[in-house]
Amino acid sequence: MDVAEIISHHILDHDWGISVGGFRLPVTTHSVTIFAVSVVLFGILFWISRPRVSRSGRLLTTLAESYISFIRDSLVIPNMGAEGRGFLPYFCTLFLFILSINLAGMIPEMKTATSNISVTAALAICSGGVILYSGLKYHGLGGFLKGFIPSGTPGWLVPLIFPLEVVSTVIKVCVLAIRLFANMLSGHMVLLCLLLIIFIVGKMHIAAGIGAFLPAMVLEIFMTCLELLVAFLQAYVFTLLTAIFAGSVIHTH
Amino acid sequence: MEDLLKPDYGVMVLTICNFLLLVYLLKRFAWKGLIGALERREAQIQTDVEQAASNRQEAETLKRELDEKLAQISLEASKKMNEAVQLGQAQSAALLTQAQEQAKRLLEETKAQLKAEKEQALADVRKEIVNTAIMATQKVLQENISTATADQVVTRVLAEIKAKKYE
Repeated sequence: MDVAEIISHHILDHDWGISVGGFRLPVTTHSVTIFAVSVVLFGILFWISRPRVSRSGRLLTTLAESYISFIRDSLVIPNMGAEGRGFLPYFCTLFLFILSINLAGMIPEMKTATSNISVTAALAICSGGVILYSGLKYHGLGGFLKGFIPSGTPGWLVPLIFPLEVVSTVIKVCVLAIRLFANMLSGHMVLLCLLLIIFIVGKMHIAAGIGAFLPAMVLEIFMTCLELLVAFLQAYVFTLLTAIFAGSVIHTH
Repeated sequence: MEDLLKPDYGVMVLTICNFLLLVYLLKRFAWKGLIGALERREAQIQTDVEQAASNRQEAETLKRELDEKLAQISLEASKKMNEAVQLGQAQSAALLTQAQEQAKRLLEETKAQLKAEKEQALADVRKEIVNTAIMATQKVLQENISTATADQVVTRVLAEIKAKKYE
């Protein structure tokens, strides 16, 4: 098994090969991870949201309310204004969902599903839907389309500017998917490469491999900490950018 | 490795369905309650803060009014005290004057009474002298005595009168 195969094995999604009546079901490691994360997330939040009187229960409820306040006051309201209140459940779910999937890769036998372009694209499509819906909800179809033409644009430039602005918005949504995918994938590849250094060097000479173990492990621990930070950061960036884009179509200039 | 950028549409659709279902379920069963509780608490806090501000304003107004009343009461008390002192002083002066006048009147009455009693006493003495003189004359005439004897009798009678007068 060469290095590329090892990396592919650890990074790429694996189809479990389940099909019904000749139709392949998309049951893969990543989709199972996503489903498991969703179930756990729903279970925990459903349990937290029940009325409680115990001190620990109140603590969890307070924690959940602090989280909602954070999403509302730091991401939604500053970017979307009061109109964003209706989208608060979406943003609360989005941040937690991405964060949980990012962190799920740290659990043995589970994989970071956000290192799969299909998963991040799906999330970007959902965010694109929210952006589209918020634009249509507050401006109607005409107003929403008019928002793609900057004010003061000469009439003869409109046919050129309009498609450019539409493509720009689509690209923004695509970039959401690529940014998350690239960041999570690269983090995992770096971690894997650092571990592989030990084996590659050890294959050349056993003593060199033992010598490479300590610095590689130190770097591995450092990168794991960095990966934790990146997991939070990317979830935040994805949610923030979705709020900014949605806010830009609500409050057009 | 080229599989990395190859989208799996099945996974994509499944992820979209999974995520949207999760959004719906969490909105319905978790966020709704939590956001509702949070907004109720915030509204309660807002109401409490406004109530506290209103109460504070009311208390300050009340304190200002009470301070003003207290100052007014203090001023009135001071004014009344001054009036009472002045009244007391006036009454004291009037009483003093009255007492002085009464004392003066009493003194004059006493003096007048003494003068009258003195005159009465003098009148009594004169009457006694006359009576004594008449009595002495009667005795002289009854005993038919000599001039020397008469002189002696008169002298004796006068001495008796004198003695009687200063008893």
